[in-house]
Amino acid sequence: MASPFSGVLQLTDLDDFIGPSQECIKPVKVEKNHPGKAAAKIRIEADGSYFQINQDGGAQKLEKAKITLNDCLACSGCITSAESVLITQQSHEELYKMLAFNKTAAPNEQKLVVVSVSPQSRASLAARCKMNVLETAKKLTTFLKSLGVHYVFDTTFSRNFSLLESQREFVKRFRKQSEDKKALPMLASACPGWICYAEKTHGSFIIPYISTAKSPQQVMGSLVKGHFAEQQHLTPDQIYHVTVMPCYDKKLEASRPDFFSQEYQTRDVDCVITTGEVLRLLEQEGISLSDVDPAPLDTMFSSITEEELTSHSGGGSGGYLEHIYKYAAKELFGIQVDTIQYKPLKNKDFQEVTLEKDGVVLLQFALAYGFRNIQNLVQKLKRGKSPYHYVEVMACPSGCLNGGGQIKIEGESSKDLLQQVEKLYESLKTEIPEKNQTVNELYEHWLGGMDSEKAAKALHTEYHAVEKTSTGFNIKW
Amino acid sequence: MKEALSLLCRLPAHPDSRCWYLAWSPGGSLLASCGGDRVVRLWGREGPGWACRAVLGEGHQRTVRKVAWSPCGTYLASASFDATTCIWKKQPDGFECVTTLEGHENEVKSVAWAPSGNLLATCSRDKSVWVWEVDEEEEYECVSVLNSHTQDVKHVVWHPNQELLASASYDDTVKLYHEEEDDWVCCATLEGHESTVWSVAFDGSGERLASCSDDKTVRIWRRYKPGNEEGVACSGTDPTWKCVCNLSGFHTRTIYDVAWCHLTGALATACGDDAIRVFEESSPAAPQQPTFSLAAHVARAHSQDVNCVAWNPKEPGLLASCSDDGEIAFWKYQRPEVC
Repeated sequence: MASPFSGVLQLTDLDDFIGPSQECIKPVKVEKNHPGKAAAKIRIEADGSYFQINQDGGAQKLEKAKITLNDCLACSGCITSAESVLITQQSHEELYKMLAFNKTAAPNEQKLVVVSVSPQSRASLAARCKMNVLETAKKLTTFLKSLGVHYVFDTTFSRNFSLLESQREFVKRFRKQSEDKKALPMLASACPGWICYAEKTHGSFIIPYISTAKSPQQVMGSLVKGHFAEQQHLTPDQIYHVTVMPCYDKKLEASRPDFFSQEYQTRDVDCVITTGEVLRLLEQEGISLSDVDPAPLDTMFSSITEEELTSHSGGGSGGYLEHIYKYAAKELFGIQVDTIQYKPLKNKDFQEVTLEKDGVVLLQFALAYGFRNIQNLVQKLKRGKSPYHYVEVMACPSGCLNGGGQIKIEGESSKDLLQQVEKLYESLKTEIPEKNQTVNELYEHWLGGMDSEKAAKALHTEYHAVEKTSTGFNIKW
Repeated sequence: MKEALSLLCRLPAHPDSRCWYLAWSPGGSLLASCGGDRVVRLWGREGPGWACRAVLGEGHQRTVRKVAWSPCGTYLASASFDATTCIWKKQPDGFECVTTLEGHENEVKSVAWAPSGNLLATCSRDKSVWVWEVDEEEEYECVSVLNSHTQDVKHVVWHPNQELLASASYDDTVKLYHEEEDDWVCCATLEGHESTVWSVAFDGSGERLASCSDDKTVRIWRRYKPGNEEGVACSGTDPTWKCVCNLSGFHTRTIYDVAWCHLTGALATACGDDAIRVFEESSPAAPQQPTFSLAAHVARAHSQDVNCVAWNPKEPGLLASCSDDGEIAFWKYQRPEVC
């Protein structure tokens, strides 16, 4: 079985062939009941549980040592089978468990369940169900609410923040490029596969180049567990926040310690399910999405109204390059850019955009999708041969619409399907982040202005180089 | 039968270390060897024997697992457990490391140059196969990362005259790749071996492939194009590679390498039982069901595992082998009258 993670993560050993039981090097802390005592006998039951036999003959069940996803991500050793860890922590089964819990729990223990759907997932579902995007959104809202979900939001809204923050960060970095050698090129931060690879493989060399702007998923996490919780008069841990994403790697992103609240012992995003898992939910319920009645959209975090959806220009991976390019051209050089000319280089997943004036290159940006192009970009950077100011880096070939969590249809070529998904994704009216009233109000009232400390905390993150450790066990000729 | 393969010369090529792999230069005058001592050595004829002409050191931090010559003979690539591949270029006064290819997550297991000389393939314990493109300025760019294998990839080899790449893996399969639009794709998976496939070799025509395995067998696969007369099913426009012969019962341990002589058609194997064997195809050949018979067998060819066998590309019957004992041996093979 091939791993569902992006190619980048497969390469970084995340799902190595060494099972956790054999060679995981992560020291696991197990709570001992009787500290200081000499070695005890341990009995293994038929069901695989362990019992410690005390000297008086009594038996005590031992706690199972568990390796969390964070352990795996923070480790560069042999690595456990991360997939099995993920399945126990982030899956549609987990969402089911939470919904079932809500049905039986006392009212004060119940959690408010919020699902934030990515526009890429919605387009994939729309292609699968042969509906338009708005219809899909409305019917998906009905379906999720019928399962016990309270609110259904759209991460297009939180992407406004990711785009605005990326734009402003770029201009700041551009202005200090002479004093800070690692200010440029700025590299995109929205793709968790790329981030994980960068931290593990190129660590402290590459991290300074990566934009600190949070991805739309994690901005949504801040919004839901911050602003929305306050509004509902709930603490962050009283909300169960699920996102629907085109990619498995997003599960890893949600599990990062940076997005965990120590105070409330809760994650900004509790559970990530892929588009394919939503389809499995539908199948398990025996429901065809096209047969569901449409419901009005939740408008609290939507861009305009309950009858309309919006998107951003610049392609299915979020449009980072395009937004930053236009903003920087205007802000730095006073040039208004209306259309962008992409120049494909080696392959369709490596494209270049250049802003010139009187024969002088002012801005040179690139899209680098898929592992091979990431590889060449990193090698160019290492040799000091990268001419770029900004690179929109994404782990998947063709970008997020082609994410590993998207729906595959049997008997249909993946290329044709991707074209349909792209067409659906692009069918929506695009909005300009600066002009979104709700976003502006949130900056003002929730975050206390664009440059406030609160805004920095809610909308930016940091990265951590993973130290290489070698175990010596894993040599194979 | 012993006379079929006679020892010409034996050299302590990588003393106190393992000698992992051998590669003849395209002109056949130089033999490159690599080993656990992290160096590559080049050997040339001297009188009746062979002498070391150059030592390519300081390129790698760990074991050099395999070496490969470019078709023009100007470049030599070395794949190392330090996760890099070095490209060495022939200079007037020896070989110089001109590029280090980085990117594999861990041990690089094999490297091979395409017949055009513009493409290079590498594979690694990280389960991936990479295709690199060389431009006029000797810059190497990665054109594809192929994640088709589910385990450690042991070996890569190119078709003798087409841009078709084969890889062998710990996942017991052989996979073939070709370019489609602007990326490389896996176009065939050869299943049948019951354990790690250690090496693969094409015959001179490229219509057949031999694979050797930890399951102690050598299998011969033949290419059937869509619409073939024999009625072998193909999916779409891709040919099918069908196993037409299984050489079992000859080897007592893992077979680490197989070499198909493009001059004579003889098939040599390197085995963990310290032996070298040579097989000949029985004539008249029946293409659908070829039979191979053991033509030569040297039981104690080396004092330890034999890691590699390599036929000289110009001189028929000249075979080189190397072993965990650090030695290289040169053999003269003469096809027996009856075999």
